[in-house]
Amino acid sequence: MNVRAVARVGLVVATLLAVLWLAPVLWMFATAVKPTPHIFALPPVWIPSVVVGDHLSAVLIKWPFTRWVWNSVVVATCATVLSTVVSVPAAFAFSRLQWRGRDAVFLVFLSSMLIPLEVNVIPLYFLMNRLHLLNTYPGVFLPIVGMPVGVFLLRQFFLNIPQELDDAARVDGAGSWRILLSVILPLSGPALAALAIYMFVFSWNEFFWSMIALSSPRMFTLPIGLRALQGAYDIDYGVLMAGASLATVPAVLVFLLLQRHIIRGVTLTAFR
Amino acid sequence: MRWRVRAGAPADAPARAPSRGLRSILRAGELALFLAPFAGFWLLFRLGPVLYGVAISLYRWDPLGDVEFVGASNYLRLAADPRFWNALRNTLIFAALAIPGILALGLGLALLVFAYRHRPAVRWIEAAFFFPYLLTVSVVGLVWRWLLDPDFGAVLLALRSLGFRPPVFLNEPAWALPAIAFATAWWLAGYRMVIFRAALEDIPEEIFDAAKVDGATGWRLVRSVLLPLLKPAALFALVLTGISGFIVFGQVLIMTAGGPGRASEVLALYLYRFGFEYLEMGQAAAVGVVIFTLILLLTLLSFRWLGYGGAG
Repeated sequence: MNVRAVARVGLVVATLLAVLWLAPVLWMFATAVKPTPHIFALPPVWIPSVVVGDHLSAVLIKWPFTRWVWNSVVVATCATVLSTVVSVPAAFAFSRLQWRGRDAVFLVFLSSMLIPLEVNVIPLYFLMNRLHLLNTYPGVFLPIVGMPVGVFLLRQFFLNIPQELDDAARVDGAGSWRILLSVILPLSGPALAALAIYMFVFSWNEFFWSMIALSSPRMFTLPIGLRALQGAYDIDYGVLMAGASLATVPAVLVFLLLQRHIIRGVTLTAFR
Repeated sequence: MRWRVRAGAPADAPARAPSRGLRSILRAGELALFLAPFAGFWLLFRLGPVLYGVAISLYRWDPLGDVEFVGASNYLRLAADPRFWNALRNTLIFAALAIPGILALGLGLALLVFAYRHRPAVRWIEAAFFFPYLLTVSVVGLVWRWLLDPDFGAVLLALRSLGFRPPVFLNEPAWALPAIAFATAWWLAGYRMVIFRAALEDIPEEIFDAAKVDGATGWRLVRSVLLPLLKPAALFALVLTGISGFIVFGQVLIMTAGGPGRASEVLALYLYRFGFEYLEMGQAAAVGVVIFTLILLLTLLSFRWLGYGGAG
């Protein structure tokens, strides 16, 4: 067999594998729209022959599902915006300003990347309880803002911007804030986008801390709401898959729109 | 005030400056303004809680409000609790299955996508592999619980119709953790794939040409050329995946809730139950400290093994 034939067979295999990879997601959507008897039919109904909206409407009517979506949007947006706003000047100080001990201080920040939010849930619970922030949006997103990821990512990017640009601006009399705002930031679009995507996905998916911080159903974010659905329906897979599908549709839409940016953003956050 | 222009210049400002003391105070003030917003959040919500957590773990917190200093007693109670050791064991088993699974799958998919990088269709293949990463952990857990349902799970039915006799994964103690690790690998491998593929693309074309001249193709090319070059990328991947392995929680809670029995109860679930079901906050905080220590150890070990930053 020649090389080209091998390559073609390989591409077919890769395509089949890709379809198989998405099969769980397709099965989720299929289950969400099947009538209950078809969900539990033996042999299984692989392709839905009848499509019903019962499960979808059960989720949307009996549960504050749209409110959960809104809560998730608020939490993820606040976490993303706030962490970008505080990370930019810090990353600037660690990359464009010269000061004694800079790299040592940065290393301390960097090593705190090893502290996942999860190991801190008990102290955070005590802290948020004292601040009366349990069951509030800030209670969920403030701990995410303390993540050093943004400082690390932006510093890396800022370091690659030629120093001559700063020098020229300083000769023209610009101060540090002016340089940050009118020299560095306009060149940092890709890094800011990458950070925003990373933070948004992270906070959209955050589970452990949110589950502890949020106890009132109207404050749940999507992942916590889906967990509550599971508690209520146990093995009513039509409703569970309807909830999971509804939670996934935004991800599908955003991914179709921004696929290239998202994948490039991930490579920028790769900490290589 | 002015910042010194250019890296590498002497630390002190030119002697002609009117007042060095005043200027360095102003400079320190400006620096503080740049750092303070982030540092504030970081101290309050990241570093502070670590220390606070250690402090909490030294006390006994009565649900009625009584607080009593008990020293290392919470840690001793952990050490004496077989359920804790079971959770630790399960966490290590999960990590030992999921971390290599995620990295190997991610690397395999990256090589596959990289091999066909000149084909337009590969963009969609890559997108398919990456997509599960965008699902939230509850969706991943629910979907795989349904796929592996003992009576109506599609995976089991498909395997049976092909003539296999699969175990009822989630209801069998020996299979619950491997099944959760598999679902986790499906969820996260696409993210690693994108990172590895980017690292592969950074390799200069000349290296491939040279390898071709030397007759290195296929597996030999991968093993003796590509893998060594991917080492730095692999290190960070190992550390970050490792951390996610030690704090696994959501998918376990949803797929098995730690069962059957306690066959898949991991440390984070143990922490959650002691803290928020049994209200043993001190002991739960001690578990947090233990997980943190494990992560530190893993990091030091992987830096050592992969020889990053040192002589290797």
